[in-house]
Amino acid sequence: MTIRKALWLLGCMAMGLAMAQPKVVSGYENGKPGGTLTMALASAPQTMFYYGAIDSAIQTLANQMFDGLIEYNYKTYQIEPALAASWTITGESKVYTFKLRKGVKWSDGRDLTADDVVFTYTQIVANPEAKGGDAGNFAGVKIEKVDASTVRFTLPKPAPAFIHYMRLPIMPKHKLLPFSQEGGKKPGDINNAWPTTVDPNEVVGTGPFKLQSYTPGQKVTLVKNPNYWKRDADGTPLPYLDRLEFLIIPDSQARVAQFLAGNLGQLNITGSDFPSLKQREVQGAPIKVVQFRALFGSPPHLAFNYDDKNPELAALFRKTEFRRAIQSAVNRKRIIDDVYNGLAELPGNGVAPVSEWYYDTTKLLGTYDLAAANAALDKLGLKKGPDGIRLLPSGKPLEFTLTYGSNSSTFTAIATIIQNDLKAIGVKANLQGVLAANLLSTGRGKDWDAILLGFGDQPDPELRTPIWKPGGDLYYWHQSTQPITPGGQPQFSNFLPWEKEVYDLWEKAASTTNFTQRKALYDRWQAIFAREAMVIMIAKEFAVGAVSNRYGNYIYSLGVIPGYNPVPIMYQK
Amino acid sequence: MWSFVFRRFLVAIPTLLLISALIFGVIQLQPGGFLENMLDDPRVSRETVETIRKQYGLDQPAWVQYLNWLGKFAQGDFGYSFLNNRPVAGLIWERLGWTVFLALLTILATWAVAIPLGIYTALRRHGLGATVANFVGYFGLATPDFLVALLLIYAVLSSGGTNVGGLFSPQYIDAPWSWEKFKDMLAHLWIPLIVIGLDGTASIMRQMRANMLDVLTQDYIRTARSKGLAERVVLWKHAVRNAINPLISIAGLSLPNLISSTIIASIVLNLPTIGPFLYDSLLNKDQYVVMALLMFSAILLMIGNLLADLALAWADPRIRYE
Repeated sequence: MTIRKALWLLGCMAMGLAMAQPKVVSGYENGKPGGTLTMALASAPQTMFYYGAIDSAIQTLANQMFDGLIEYNYKTYQIEPALAASWTITGESKVYTFKLRKGVKWSDGRDLTADDVVFTYTQIVANPEAKGGDAGNFAGVKIEKVDASTVRFTLPKPAPAFIHYMRLPIMPKHKLLPFSQEGGKKPGDINNAWPTTVDPNEVVGTGPFKLQSYTPGQKVTLVKNPNYWKRDADGTPLPYLDRLEFLIIPDSQARVAQFLAGNLGQLNITGSDFPSLKQREVQGAPIKVVQFRALFGSPPHLAFNYDDKNPELAALFRKTEFRRAIQSAVNRKRIIDDVYNGLAELPGNGVAPVSEWYYDTTKLLGTYDLAAANAALDKLGLKKGPDGIRLLPSGKPLEFTLTYGSNSSTFTAIATIIQNDLKAIGVKANLQGVLAANLLSTGRGKDWDAILLGFGDQPDPELRTPIWKPGGDLYYWHQSTQPITPGGQPQFSNFLPWEKEVYDLWEKAASTTNFTQRKALYDRWQAIFAREAMVIMIAKEFAVGAVSNRYGNYIYSLGVIPGYNPVPIMYQK
Repeated sequence: MWSFVFRRFLVAIPTLLLISALIFGVIQLQPGGFLENMLDDPRVSRETVETIRKQYGLDQPAWVQYLNWLGKFAQGDFGYSFLNNRPVAGLIWERLGWTVFLALLTILATWAVAIPLGIYTALRRHGLGATVANFVGYFGLATPDFLVALLLIYAVLSSGGTNVGGLFSPQYIDAPWSWEKFKDMLAHLWIPLIVIGLDGTASIMRQMRANMLDVLTQDYIRTARSKGLAERVVLWKHAVRNAINPLISIAGLSLPNLISSTIIASIVLNLPTIGPFLYDSLLNKDQYVVMALLMFSAILLMIGNLLADLALAWADPRIRYE
């Protein structure tokens, strides 16, 4: 080989490197390539198309096969570049412009372009008939291609948290066009893309792994995507693992058994499985049980129906003094110790304690004090009757149903503890169990008094607007504040004074872009939430995972949260 | 004979119609529904749900939906799974193989164990072997499937085994068939066979025993013995053949068990059968899947009954349909 030829080759290689723009993940052990990791899915996937169903199995799988424009840092949950290498936010936080990472290829070798991004958001995400889409948050948003590697989103009004929606997985236009409106189909036909019988080669993504095979009801196998765009600190391409296998195991006991037998490499568990696994770790089993303070996850709360059918109860439930009195009877410490085996912390009010948005509401949560609760109820004029049950002004006993998710051991245990403590202060709660899947529809109905429910926390409070902003779609405990027609104005005349204040804070926060100012507004809201005991937050559970000692770089896998995927840095020792 | 079969088919039609109406009615009575559950996700708005409701024709009156479903069912179209965006037939078909395999194997194993044991315990009523067999039988009847499954899993785990669920080790699930894969399956298969089969074995054994005891006191047995027939002939040709008759009708009834009996055991043992699929569809209110599976269950019951009757006629010369 002549020197000139060698130089020319070197030049070409340098050009190639300059064109590709891999993301370097640093701060972790350098692993070695190869190996297989087996994990569990709690149910069979309903489709191989992320947006075709609301299904935790495909969400978990899609996390490994697809990427969004942005993603979260493993440690801080801060937003980081993913498929978009950089972006600018202009026009008072209304114009978002994303520059795509150079050299990203789909797993079939085609280049990722702005067309794919525009297609994903216009044809799928904003399509109201895509079952797993997110049309509501993209109403009125203009999505356009600026050039082959630039995409621009123009919002009708400022939305500082909009950037978080950019973690939704980007789909390949060249494979999905035939199912879209652009390809001449009906809007609902997008749901038919990639059914579970699809040829695995059709399922093309940019993620660390790609689909290899699906054995119905039993197993999904993914293999390494050689075109993946991440590197470790040494420049070794990620992911380290060659194969990712998911066994479909619906029963949680069976999952633990399979993990203990060594057939699963990693498992997300709950506080109730913790003691037996931890004990085995201590006894020398080759496993490690790890706990993390969680940002995501749904802390349970106790809500009272401000619009109860029984007007006497409704009037009582609207009184802050009543809800605070009940709060004093909620034994959070016992719940954390007994129900969660100590793997939980005091809750935030609408914001996880580990979040950067958290305002310390510990003092406002009150302490467990039955004497104080009794005194507060006395002060409300609720005298005890002959059988120890307090009487309402009308002379009827203070009695209501407490609805909870009967197929969750956590919720059942919490409901029983609360019922017991309420009895001690002369309040009779009758437990009513419903399937956890039906809890929210029960809450959104009118036929309930008190309910135990959980809502997921998010990295930015604005993403939870429908829940915490009075009059919102999921502000179910005070439904008379909700608009009469969908999308209309809330019924302000039914607002309680502090609800109006909260409403104004949220309105203001939604159009403020400065972090410090927004934080101050949400701090104020959290304080009001806690002070008024809008709903009574119970506890925030830790994330607990178990992993075999064969694997390194283990970080708790959140599973269904798009934009957070620590599996690529895991390696087999 | 054939006219009997034909008449049975005619009678089956109104029965199945009634069952189909019942199934449809019960499903409609369920609170909520598949689409209501979608609202749990904050991304889904009420308008989206209404659009999808129209898309699936769920906005039509119940009787229109019923007739549509029935008409299609009769033509072999079992409807559409909301959950999977796929026709129901393919989904059931995917899971049918292992279900039938496991069920047939269990029935076979059950009978092969239970009938000899039943005869044995009837002949040696007070022996040690019979007492042990009876005890195991009572135990099998009294313990629920899932408990036996958990006990076996615990036993395997504490002896250091890895075959604690499913039919294969993970690496063999999607591997092509080989001698190794077959051996791996045998190492897994005994647990589901015991768990699913224990119940049936115990009850069939006890019935066989009771029948035998009944038959052994009959006059014709005494007659046979007094004729000087060998005890072997008396037992096998006269006693057992008559004692087994009532069990044939039980065999027919075990056909619908293909679908429903293994639900809990399949969930705990993670077996790829129809059971967990039915359970999941029930929880998610995936109505066409549930209705199709329940209809199949009813049809299998009828077929099983018919087969049992035919088998009885064949086995018992006293029964004739002409």
